[in-house]
Amino acid sequence: MSQLLDKLNFFKSLRKDTFAGGHGQTIVENRDWEETYRSRWRHDKIVRSTHGVNCTGSCSWKIYVKSGIVTWETQQTDYPRTRPDLPNHEPRGCARGASYSWYLYSANRVKNPLVRGRLMKLWRQRRATMSPIEAWTSIQQDPAARASYTKKRGLGGFVRATWDEATEIVAAANAYTAKTYGPDRVFGFSPIPAMSMVSYAAGSRYLSLLGGTCMSFYDWYCDLPPASPMTWGEQTDVPESADWYNAGFLILWGSNVPQTRTPDAHFYTEARYRGTKSAVVCPDYSEAAKFGDIWLNAKQGTDAALAIAMGHVILREYHLDRQVDYFEDYTRKYSDFPMLVRLEKQGDRYVPGRMLRAADFDGSLGEANNPDWKTVAIAEKGGKVVAPNGSIGFRWGEQGKWNLEEQAAGKDTRLKTTLILDGDNDGTLPVDFPYFGGQATTQWAACDFPDVLTRNIPVKKLKLVDGEAAVCTVFDLFAANYGLDRGLGGDWVTKDYDADMPGTPAWAERITGVKRDKIIQVAREFATNAEKTNGKSMIIIGAAMNHWYHMDMNYRGVINMLVMCGCVGQSGGGWAHYVGQEKLRPQTGWTALAFALDWARPPRHMNSTSAWYAHTDQWRYETVSSAEILSPTAPAGDYKDLSLIDYNIRAERMGWLPSAPQLRTNPLQVGAAAKAEGIEAKDYVARELKSGALEMSAEDPDAPENWPRNLFVWRSNLLGSSGKGHEYFLKHLLGTDHGVLGKDLGQEGRQKPVEARWHDKAPEGKLDLLVTIDFRMSTTAVYADIVLPTASWYEKDDLNTSDMHPFIHPLQAAVDPAYESKSDWEIFKAIAKKFSDVVPGYLGTETDVVQLPLQHDSAMEVAQPHVRDWKKGECDLIPGKTAPAYIAVERDYPNLYKRFTALGPLMEKVGNGGKGIAWDTKTEVHHLKALNGTHHEEGATKGMAKIETAIDAAEVILMLAPETNGEVAVKAWNALSKATGREHAHLAEVKEDEKIRFRDIAAQPRKIISSPTWSGIESEEVCYNAGWTNVHELIPWRTLTGRQQLYQDHEWMLAFGEFFLTWRPPVDLKTISADATKALKSGEKHVVLNFITPHQKWGIHSTYSDNLLMLTLNRGGPVVWLSEHDAKTAGIVDNDWVEVFNSNGVLTARAVVSQRMKDGTLFMYHAQEKIVNTPGSQITGKRGGIHNSVTRAVLKPTHMIGGYAQQSYGFNYYGTVGCNRDEMVVVRKMNNVDWLDRPAKVEAAE
Amino acid sequence: MKTFKALSLLLSYPELDLQAAIPAIRATLKDEGLLGPHRMGHLEPLLASLAGDDIYDLQERYVLLFDRSRSLSLNLFEHIHGESRDRGGAMVDLLETYRAGGFDLDGPELPDHLPVLLEFLSTRALEEAQGILADAGHILVALAERLTRRQSVYAGVLEALVALVEARADTEEATALLAEPEDDPMDLAQLDKVWEEAQVSFAPDPNAGCPVSRDILARMDLPVRAAATAAE
Repeated sequence: MSQLLDKLNFFKSLRKDTFAGGHGQTIVENRDWEETYRSRWRHDKIVRSTHGVNCTGSCSWKIYVKSGIVTWETQQTDYPRTRPDLPNHEPRGCARGASYSWYLYSANRVKNPLVRGRLMKLWRQRRATMSPIEAWTSIQQDPAARASYTKKRGLGGFVRATWDEATEIVAAANAYTAKTYGPDRVFGFSPIPAMSMVSYAAGSRYLSLLGGTCMSFYDWYCDLPPASPMTWGEQTDVPESADWYNAGFLILWGSNVPQTRTPDAHFYTEARYRGTKSAVVCPDYSEAAKFGDIWLNAKQGTDAALAIAMGHVILREYHLDRQVDYFEDYTRKYSDFPMLVRLEKQGDRYVPGRMLRAADFDGSLGEANNPDWKTVAIAEKGGKVVAPNGSIGFRWGEQGKWNLEEQAAGKDTRLKTTLILDGDNDGTLPVDFPYFGGQATTQWAACDFPDVLTRNIPVKKLKLVDGEAAVCTVFDLFAANYGLDRGLGGDWVTKDYDADMPGTPAWAERITGVKRDKIIQVAREFATNAEKTNGKSMIIIGAAMNHWYHMDMNYRGVINMLVMCGCVGQSGGGWAHYVGQEKLRPQTGWTALAFALDWARPPRHMNSTSAWYAHTDQWRYETVSSAEILSPTAPAGDYKDLSLIDYNIRAERMGWLPSAPQLRTNPLQVGAAAKAEGIEAKDYVARELKSGALEMSAEDPDAPENWPRNLFVWRSNLLGSSGKGHEYFLKHLLGTDHGVLGKDLGQEGRQKPVEARWHDKAPEGKLDLLVTIDFRMSTTAVYADIVLPTASWYEKDDLNTSDMHPFIHPLQAAVDPAYESKSDWEIFKAIAKKFSDVVPGYLGTETDVVQLPLQHDSAMEVAQPHVRDWKKGECDLIPGKTAPAYIAVERDYPNLYKRFTALGPLMEKVGNGGKGIAWDTKTEVHHLKALNGTHHEEGATKGMAKIETAIDAAEVILMLAPETNGEVAVKAWNALSKATGREHAHLAEVKEDEKIRFRDIAAQPRKIISSPTWSGIESEEVCYNAGWTNVHELIPWRTLTGRQQLYQDHEWMLAFGEFFLTWRPPVDLKTISADATKALKSGEKHVVLNFITPHQKWGIHSTYSDNLLMLTLNRGGPVVWLSEHDAKTAGIVDNDWVEVFNSNGVLTARAVVSQRMKDGTLFMYHAQEKIVNTPGSQITGKRGGIHNSVTRAVLKPTHMIGGYAQQSYGFNYYGTVGCNRDEMVVVRKMNNVDWLDRPAKVEAAE
Repeated sequence: MKTFKALSLLLSYPELDLQAAIPAIRATLKDEGLLGPHRMGHLEPLLASLAGDDIYDLQERYVLLFDRSRSLSLNLFEHIHGESRDRGGAMVDLLETYRAGGFDLDGPELPDHLPVLLEFLSTRALEEAQGILADAGHILVALAERLTRRQSVYAGVLEALVALVEARADTEEATALLAEPEDDPMDLAQLDKVWEEAQVSFAPDPNAGCPVSRDILARMDLPVRAAATAAE
């Protein structure tokens, strides 16, 4: 055969049997199987959205839609690039996000409006002949009828309703409540607006137009660290996660970044590649512990002791024995170290007292404006006492000197930080400091030092208006508080790290269990890095440390370290607390929409912790007395005689904290009465309060007039997830089956409150109506009277921002809401419409009198230099000064719907603002009219900009906020310049013409614009970091001194011994009571453990643990974790069913026995629902309970302080917090696992 | 055939108009005669209950059974795909079947809702309808069985559907479905079995992947033994 015949002359084969040198091979076969993948990827469109739960992730996702059905989704990867040297942000998103989207078609979805069957029957019977309001009135006025559905809460029995019918019941109930008791008896709870801000605003706008009460969440969740407002006058401001990459030394202190901050964790890993060293402080061997170069396994709840010892080392080696120039310079300019403190004589001893003020001197040092609020220091040159720029007295009533320039009285003035040198002081004085470490109970080490430690302080004697006084600098007191020997003699100070004395590493080793060498090593590395990098040492914190009763000590411990080393306000440094606040970046644009500030001001805000404490009657079971937490150095007063609720009542009376309800009398009646007399509402209320004719609701929370009557819960699982004292909610607020095991103060014959009126029989079932708006049957929905189905995250238009990254991006309706659900915006719009339909003839235009506490960031924050109670005759009642302000607000009830859907006149007339500055918004209103269109219909809103759709609402936010409208940003910075006397507009001028619209962020996430609302900047040069503008633009912190405030001088702070950081062991809540343990048979094996509730891996952030995929990855139901030793003690093996209980209640779960756990602790991951796989309890015979079944909120008086600079009320900014980490529980194996799988008993005919 | 429509109605949320229509439904079912007297007898308790009981009780019962219990969901793909991402694609296919038949969905229900499917089938020729429904035979068998265990009167409707397509309980798919745990597990041993981990062994094949997850997945895909009988 000729080769010529085989060889092709004119072709070469396309097919190669082998290629790549024989490593590749070509095969011809059927490829139909690829169709599977092609059909899986098919879609008609891709829509950008995200998951709008309370997860900080804020990750943008691509949603694939085919034929109107979501087929699947993937992570977006188009975030704008930030800075050239920084790793990319993407991909953001985690397994939880990817699986939770399938709620969309889950069998768990609420498909139709549901109403409790018995309520529906009552309603339809009455509605056949009566108007809606008559029908509701008749049900409420018939106690048997009311009880027939309220007592069935949580026990099933729902029927479907139409939207028309369901909203009519809600509207009628709201109208009846407003007229009968007052609109402030309509409560609404929804958390974390940043994740879906329009959905939040829908409900809060409705409530605000009604005069209802918007309840706070950040403080109630105990995610608010009160130490932040105390130190910085700032709710919480933190670096974006990208800034972790810039850190040289990173401490993860109780934050489990890989587990709970999954989309951001890559920055932590990347920082390690860059050479950053990392220490992890964590009691258990968590996922984060594995990342650390060094792991400090401190005993839970002892973080403050650890931080004190580290601070001890840092002060000794970087401030005293050797002074680091950068640290000295930083603390002089940016902390209160140089400020003078007066030492008060108490009998024959001295205790730290108030900070000295200009008013204490003859002629007030020439300061005529607010001399009571200008702190003083000694000038380095000349040694004169001066009132330096920047203290809060300069913020109000004058302009141009509220800044951190080193100036006083118009001259350059460097301040002296210490009086240690011989020439600077007039000798030393022994000063008493409280020591609480001896109070430790149960598992915590009690070191038997005296409860008062006397240390020598260098002082200066000054002549003041009330005579001669001894004063010292904050720094000199501060160093003594850490137990540092500075050669002044006396006791309780040392130079030896091994000395067994409060403050030393050796002492901390006893308490925390961490070896002193490790403590010293980490302190040195932290400080040395800060010294070499000018402050690039960072501490990342999670909620873990903040949930202890004495959380402020933990937080102030780390804050002190950061301030001593000049880390706050420096890129790559500072305090990184990532819990719950989930930064709502376009805040001032949003508040206008959300609280209807375009129609009436102020809105009604309430701090939830105090409200739930009172209204779920948790105060009736209080086990902690003020005597137990009071300082041995407390000033004179009746502190010991008051119970915790008494403190709260006084705080409300003095205008420190808000109230809800506000007055026993309906505020609409108060408004009408004042009007009838022709006097101003505030004068009327002041007169009637003094005479006793009006009474604050706080004083009698159990009186029926003072009950909350209607409650909306939306975007939240209040009862299943965040309700501390869950069983008390069930018993008193809802009036249904509960598991409270303990007795109240009356039954126990213990001391009762003096300010709160006691009723022997506590009310059960305060709420007339509970409305839950959710897309799934959550625990809260199960207990509701009405459940309204809402759109899920791929079914609505909304906005989303986070503190973790600098972008704003949307949720979008990829598909219509499934079944009969509607978006939150449309739901509240429908309720508003129905309300306006049913109300004419019943309510008209009314004058509502709103009670407003003394607000932070307003001139009211300098209202009360001293604590004076008008009711005790210590001062006159002056609304807005010695008591809350009372402000008349007009409500137009028949036009509520019209107002809801239009941008009201106040934006044009009054303008907008936030955090103490205000600017004009006429241009923005004009633009909104053009963008959204105007109302043409005759009536109350003709010619006003429309807010009909959720996108309209989003545009209002984006247009009004400096963060998304450069023109507004420039206006806002200029407004701030007036107060500081410095030019700031350069931070936004380059973006002045940038206006971010909803369609822009639909195309791609956008970087936001720098705004004075926040203390960091958005720039091409530095990452966002809190405190940056304070340090680099010399804008004061919003505190008393204008500096970072490490010394707290309010009378109550002194009384409770927390003027400085100190070690306070967990409090004894006494819940392992005889009542609780009587279920234990004699000799029955059990173990008593500390109950800890961290965030989990198998639920999306802190909610949604009923997803089958996540349940499959875990154990398919509720679990608790305990150590091998503890398990052995109680005779428990892995996967046993256990019962966990104390006097607050009971829960059931499976045990996970793990070497990871520290002895003495029981973990139960946050928010595992009792609707999934939870058997009955042997004790109560009811279904298991949730993590909050064994908790109860306990208030702390220092969180109630108000009218005092940074310690003034702001919504979610300051106030009581719902701590729950100090709780102890009994754990035992369940012998009898009962699934209660029987039909409820049939009752006698109704 | 109107029988499918009638059964669709019986599985719909009970309203007053349904109560009033029960005699007509009964008559239609009898007239068409697709269900024999035996099946009709099993349907009678439901017909009587729907016709005569208090509407609120009927509605509460329906919400509890079909809106709140995942294992009784009338959305067929809940039982095949659960919360897997395949569900979206499957629903698109079904939607296209409806469209090919000349109908578009109207109203809030998803395409895989059983009453929706039944209504569509009532517009098709009997043989075709039976063919389509037969694809879901194993789900119908499982639902019928679960409702019977709960002694629910609704079991009659599902039994009727099973009879219409002559679905068998002893097929592999039906067995698999029935072996899945219910929402209210009485049988704890069965509940645990799914989560039981196999002993970790690195020999003889070290490349076979994680034996723990492999075993669990295998068991979840295809349970090894037939439905537990203890609970019945």
